[in-house]
Amino acid sequence: MFLENIKEAITSIFSNKMRSLLTMLGIIIGISSVIIITTIGGSIQSTLTATLNSMGGNTVSAYVEARYPETDEEWDTWVYPDMTDEDYVTQEMIDGLIEAYPDEISGIAAQSNLGYGQIKDETDADNYANVSVAGITPEYLDYMKVEMYAGRNLTKTDNETQKKVCVIADTMAERYFDGRDPIGEKVSVVLSDGSIHDFVVVGVYKYNQALFGQVDTSIPEKDRSTMMIIPLQTCFKLQGTDQTGYDSFNLLLTPLADVEQATADITSYFDKIYADNENFHIYAYNMQSDLGMINTVLNVITVAVSGIAAISLIVGGVGVMNIMLVSITERTREIGVRMALGAKRRTIRQQFVIEAIVLCLIGGTIGILIGVGIGALLGTVAGFIIQNMYAEYANYIIMEVHPSGSAIMLSLFFSMLTGVFFGYYPANKAAKMEVIDALRYE
Amino acid sequence: MSEPVIRMEKIIKTYYEGKPNELEILHGIDLTVNQGEFVSIVGESGSGKSTLMNIIGVLDRQTAGSYFLEGQDVGGMSDEVRSAIRNRRIGFVFQNFNLLPRANALKNVMVPLMYGETKVKDQKERAMEMLAMVGMEERAGHRPNELSGGQKQRVAIARAMINDPAIILADEPTGALDSKTGHMVMDLFHRLHEEQGKTIVLITHSQELASETQRIVTLLDGEIVADKGGAR
Repeated sequence: MFLENIKEAITSIFSNKMRSLLTMLGIIIGISSVIIITTIGGSIQSTLTATLNSMGGNTVSAYVEARYPETDEEWDTWVYPDMTDEDYVTQEMIDGLIEAYPDEISGIAAQSNLGYGQIKDETDADNYANVSVAGITPEYLDYMKVEMYAGRNLTKTDNETQKKVCVIADTMAERYFDGRDPIGEKVSVVLSDGSIHDFVVVGVYKYNQALFGQVDTSIPEKDRSTMMIIPLQTCFKLQGTDQTGYDSFNLLLTPLADVEQATADITSYFDKIYADNENFHIYAYNMQSDLGMINTVLNVITVAVSGIAAISLIVGGVGVMNIMLVSITERTREIGVRMALGAKRRTIRQQFVIEAIVLCLIGGTIGILIGVGIGALLGTVAGFIIQNMYAEYANYIIMEVHPSGSAIMLSLFFSMLTGVFFGYYPANKAAKMEVIDALRYE
Repeated sequence: MSEPVIRMEKIIKTYYEGKPNELEILHGIDLTVNQGEFVSIVGESGSGKSTLMNIIGVLDRQTAGSYFLEGQDVGGMSDEVRSAIRNRRIGFVFQNFNLLPRANALKNVMVPLMYGETKVKDQKERAMEMLAMVGMEERAGHRPNELSGGQKQRVAIARAMINDPAIILADEPTGALDSKTGHMVMDLFHRLHEEQGKTIVLITHSQELASETQRIVTLLDGEIVADKGGAR
């Protein structure tokens, strides 16, 4: 009976194709707009998530931040306080943090720039290499997803003992050392302030233009600057400051750690340590909170579009109701015949409700197909635009375009609901007909 | 003697009851039709024969009096039960065929089975049998608009017969047909009556058609004025 009704409904809908299509238009527009927006939104969301995660999403960034005044009066006289030695985050604090949360935090990635310099070959005046010298913690290369090419990475001991060792780029090593093995070689760097420092090369990393910026081809290859990496503590020493702590750093998390939880733990850990510090505290944040904001915006848009879709569904539903009323009037005789042949009132009601539901479901399905199609297209276009705008990150952008499954299910559900809601009144009208009147209807 | 198929006692039908334009159409009809009879109800238009037919066919309710169909008082039954009775016990044949336009002949014949309470096995086979009985098996796949009037009426008769009803109620079955096809349809009724012993009630305004039946009940102004044997 139920199946018969569905077949009957489909026959009836298809016997009036144009009318059915026009009736479904409201529903098609409503559903497809929701699907388009959710597909684009979902694609942006998952592309950003995947991309940020691949670029160190599993970290918490933190920095020393001044305690800002709370009232307007205080703001007027407030000046940003100078940082003193006690305000920096020390390696002991970090060690204590890792000890306190070994399941969450695995290390610290911090960096400080020493400045630009030039490596000079004492035996060959024409042979030189431009470098930017940066002090880093050993974990920093992992954090930046830089791979080693030869030799070894910097170690904790290098850092603690302020060794004058360095890791250089493969492109620079190849050219400067001209095929010789650079490991173990000594290089002299003349910094821009004129000071000269000697370092022993312990490793070579693979140059990655996504991380260090695109190669500026307007400069001859010989003059191009690459990053030379030295231990952070060595860098602090060479900078001539007393600083041994960090003012800005990234904490690396274990693979299973929950980023939000880790951020909260880190904040509370430093809040205790900085409780007595009047001027500064530690502000910790993660990329996921940035994502959270993007998600919030996308969700607001989705809700707004869903509201419009709801209106469209209501309008579409009224259209369905209207056409069902017309259809019932047209088919009065048929209803009479069916009743004479033994159809009960509820059977007639069921038949027309099912017809309205099928009509709405077909409309909903068409809407979903259109929505998925256009959504996927726009999502892909958006992806290409992003990839072209940030070409240097192209390798790091992970495009994910897919429609939202829950949106599709919800759309089908709401189209069905529209059918039930707006189909019931006409169907009930049909069911309430008197058989002799219906039979005699011309 | 077994219970008559139709037993009507003092059936009164009034329209616009209690209103100023109240109109009594049937003024107390007493009618008994026994199993296996072929009865025609004749009357001019306005005689009340359509109203009587609607009551016999359980399409309408009488205002007063009682109507027993196979011994069951159908007057007091709910709409649901009356639907089931129409479905199982009455086979309708209408003047204008009343086939479903979007369904083919076979599907049309199957409609009463679809609305039946009990699941009938081999619905298609049964419907084909009925079509074969009226000589329409070769046109089973045709829609009503692809059939001639006589063919349509034969499909309608097959539909009326499919649930093996207690009575075939035919309302001017030849009214929309030319006389040749009309005769063919009448012959079909005679065959059903003679070969299968069907009880048939024929409603018509034509004395000529009525005279073909066993018994002629003449209706005039809502009352039975004659009830006599026919030519056969």
